[in-house]
Amino acid sequence: MGYQTPYAPTRSELSSCIQCGLCLPHCPTFRLTGKETDSPRGRLTAMTAVLDGVTGIDEVFTETISFCLGCRACEPVCPSMVPYGRTLEGARAEISAHKGGVLRRLRGWIMESWLGSPGIMRAVTWATALVQRTGLARIAPRRVRSGLRGLRRIGWRTPSLRGRTFEPDRAPVATVGLLTGCIMGPWFAEVHQASIAVLVRAGYRVVVPSGQTCCGALAAHDGAADGAGRLAVRNAAAFRGVDYVVANAAGCSAHLKDYRHWVPGDALSDDWRVRDITELVADAVEDGRLPRLEGGRGTVALQHPCHLRNAQRIINQPRVILEAAGYQPADIDPVCCGAAGFYSILRPDTSSRLGRDKADEIRRSGAALVASANPGCEMQLRSHLVGEYPVLHPVELYMQALSDATESRA
Amino acid sequence: MAATLTGRNTKLRDDLIRLLGAERVMDSALERHLYAKDAGVYRGNPTVVVMIETTEEAAQVVRTARRHGVPVVARGAGTGLSAGAVPEVGGVVLVTTRMNRIEEIDAENHTAWVGPGVINLDLSRATTPFGMHFAPDPSSQSACTVGGNIACNSGGPHCLSEGSTVNHILALEVVTDTGDVMIVGSGAPDPVGLDLRGIIVGSEGTLGIVTRALVKLTPNPPDVRTMAVAFATIEDAAATVSGIIAAGLIPAALEMMDQLMMQAIENWLHAGLPVEAGALLLAEVTGVTEAVEAEAEMIAGIAQSNKALSVQVAASPAERELLWKSRKSAFGAVAQAAPDYYLHDTVVPRTRLVEAMRQVYEIGQRYQITMMNVFHAGDGNLHPLMAFDASEPGRLDEVKAAADELVELCVEKGGVLSGEHGIGMEKRHLMPLLFTEMDLDAQARVKDAFDAEGVFNPGKVLPEGSRCFDFGRPVPEGAWV
Ligand SMILES: Cc1cc2nc3c(=O)[nH]c(=O)nc-3n(C[C@H](O)[C@H](O)[C@H](O)COP(=O)(O)OP(=O)(O)OC[C@H]3O[C@@H](n4cnc5c(N)ncnc54)[C@H](O)[C@@H]3O)c2cc1C
Ligand code: SF4
Ligand code: SF4
Repeated sequence: MGYQTPYAPTRSELSSCIQCGLCLPHCPTFRLTGKETDSPRGRLTAMTAVLDGVTGIDEVFTETISFCLGCRACEPVCPSMVPYGRTLEGARAEISAHKGGVLRRLRGWIMESWLGSPGIMRAVTWATALVQRTGLARIAPRRVRSGLRGLRRIGWRTPSLRGRTFEPDRAPVATVGLLTGCIMGPWFAEVHQASIAVLVRAGYRVVVPSGQTCCGALAAHDGAADGAGRLAVRNAAAFRGVDYVVANAAGCSAHLKDYRHWVPGDALSDDWRVRDITELVADAVEDGRLPRLEGGRGTVALQHPCHLRNAQRIINQPRVILEAAGYQPADIDPVCCGAAGFYSILRPDTSSRLGRDKADEIRRSGAALVASANPGCEMQLRSHLVGEYPVLHPVELYMQALSDATESRA
Repeated sequence: MAATLTGRNTKLRDDLIRLLGAERVMDSALERHLYAKDAGVYRGNPTVVVMIETTEEAAQVVRTARRHGVPVVARGAGTGLSAGAVPEVGGVVLVTTRMNRIEEIDAENHTAWVGPGVINLDLSRATTPFGMHFAPDPSSQSACTVGGNIACNSGGPHCLSEGSTVNHILALEVVTDTGDVMIVGSGAPDPVGLDLRGIIVGSEGTLGIVTRALVKLTPNPPDVRTMAVAFATIEDAAATVSGIIAAGLIPAALEMMDQLMMQAIENWLHAGLPVEAGALLLAEVTGVTEAVEAEAEMIAGIAQSNKALSVQVAASPAERELLWKSRKSAFGAVAQAAPDYYLHDTVVPRTRLVEAMRQVYEIGQRYQITMMNVFHAGDGNLHPLMAFDASEPGRLDEVKAAADELVELCVEKGGVLSGEHGIGMEKRHLMPLLFTEMDLDAQARVKDAFDAEGVFNPGKVLPEGSRCFDFGRPVPEGAWV
């Protein structure tokens, strides 16, 4: 009984929950079932029950913890500041350690070795591009099919950015290291291009360290803690020397900000500082390092990724960027869209229910396009909007507006 | 009813599964553990937990439980602080969260039929387009259910002017101890006959299960001013409260918090509270613009004459919301001071606020318990919050002893046991402080009239021995029955 791994939720983390219940209505799974077992308070109490040996890591506990989206909507509303996301990762690590199982180990291996390997990612990208260009998608199983619908059109090969440096045309404000991520590089190549262009324009020197790898968020969220730790250590070394590590996927920036939990003390530099790209770009707009462009580009539905809003409390920055790009942002209810990393594959029913609700809300918003600062959400939204609306990263929209403005002046 | 039923009861469970399906019946060790407690400190032991969706299901659950000789304990969101939803002696925990339909809003008559599981704030949000809201606004309003509000007769900051829940309930559909369904009250503001509705409201789940409610909706005020006034001392703030009331003003809300409380809230919310001040008074006035402005000015004047350090008026709806959010998150923020907290709820006459406060701090010092204070100053409803660490041996007992002293102190000053959180298990043993044997007996007989066999929430509210015939004891000498 009790916990076995060093990742386990600790007594002090758990006892910070005073069980007031104020988080309940903000939890999407509680809203679906109305059950205490599917609420943040219930999950924290369950984790404490295991810690105290009241129950073991049994079926009910596993289900309670697996059903959680990891959206962390329970965190910003908790006056007691319970670090729920951390305890969830710990509980998932414990479940993995306890259960083992071939499938679970296979998943852990994929998440560390595949996502961490550029070669395998290239092969997967090639295969996906092939599927997109042939009729193969039609015979794929339902879960895969809806995933494919969410993808951008993928190029056969994307030239690697690793090892390159991009200099601004003046003395740099700071040097930032761009995380290219596991799948972002090949699948969201345009987001990287826009990110680099906008950052350089804002006066940053952008380096793309070659020793970097997947941030490890997906592994950490799934309980593959050892693998997540190894990935984190590699990145901690690869990004040494930059002023900021910057990521353009909310899930990645949130996880990079949590590296103190994942990297042993001395392996992480003391000035490990991480920014989501929306923070850097919004700052630059506000400092006047990036221009505010003319308005009149219409309404854009602004989706708030959970790992931006709840995990990093980044709420206003995407709006600043979109307004600077000349759009009128319309906020979409911040409840989780159901993508939630691998959740959409592991629990397709809950995931699509939330995805459908989100799509309906976007349709009602009167917007012509959608902005999302997280690739997972982007895919989920595109998949559920079945091609009705373009879905893009706010920084991409800003970059487009910037080049339109440059062209019209030329 | 059987005395204690702590273990599982598979026969009962199987009957309930036949009724509701397996997804809605929970009795694993972990599930029972999660439903053993509300937001307070006591823990019970559920036999089985059911999620009901309709009135008919609630009635059938009651009949089934009764057949098995097991009590029924209703539960909404479980934000109660007095263990009302805690199944002390086991029983079926009947959860209403899925009965969360707002059935119909009658905009003309300002009423709505709602399910008991509707969340208080959801109801006000749903009625905003009609320019109305549900007036009771407990600090837990974002989470607690209308059913829970009814059962506890809950209040909130705005109950100073609007009154507590009982003033906002017109009729109730109730499942009785026999599993029948009755409607008490009606759409009429002053129904004829005995006011059973008024008896059910505040009965903490001991008389029946509320399955629908006809609630009164309150028109949103045309204008509002919310002000935060900082003082060097609690005394100055309390003097201001007395001054405001003496001037004949009845603000919509009048709330106070002390410095420790402000600091804890500010740490989380960054609302810009004046953390260097000794006390903060939140005052809100509502009405037509001219009146609101005049009243706000009068309050500011009274505050100034009582040495206010600063008077800040919320400039936008967002600022107002932030001020209220800070007030309403007070309880949660306490955990930053220590892992456990015990929130008290007592009332003293407003005139004795200052001396009561002084004694509250004194009790805290004596027991070495951090006392943080936030309260409905307008009606003398104190909420001393004790922050402590329950893992220290013997600490919980000390805290409970301190809590009892607090209550005794308030009753001594002519106050009452509970402002709004209810009696539940928490204050059951203190009832005799306030009520005579005859009072208690009258209450016990009401209970018997509704629920002679004790199906509903046994052991709550009334202390053992309330009935003059309780447990076959002879009538106490001199008692009049
Ligand atoms: C942070 C915080 C702040 C709070 N602030 C306030 C405040 O300002 N004012 C205030 O008055 N209270 C306050 N409370 C206490 C609590 O929120 C209220 O008592 C609330 O009304 C309880 O609602 P609930 O849905 O959580 O009920 P529960 O806790 O689930 O149940 C409470 C009682 O109601 C009974 N009950 C529930 N539903 C039904 C039903 N359908 N039929 C019959 N009985 C039923 C239960 O048996 C139990 O006795 C606060 C609590 C917290 C945690
Ligand atoms: S997680 Fe926070 S908000 Fe939720 S019950 Fe615990 S203390 Fe309250
Ligand atoms: S992370 Fe999301 S789904 Fe999980 S408990 Fe918190 S709010 Fe609920």
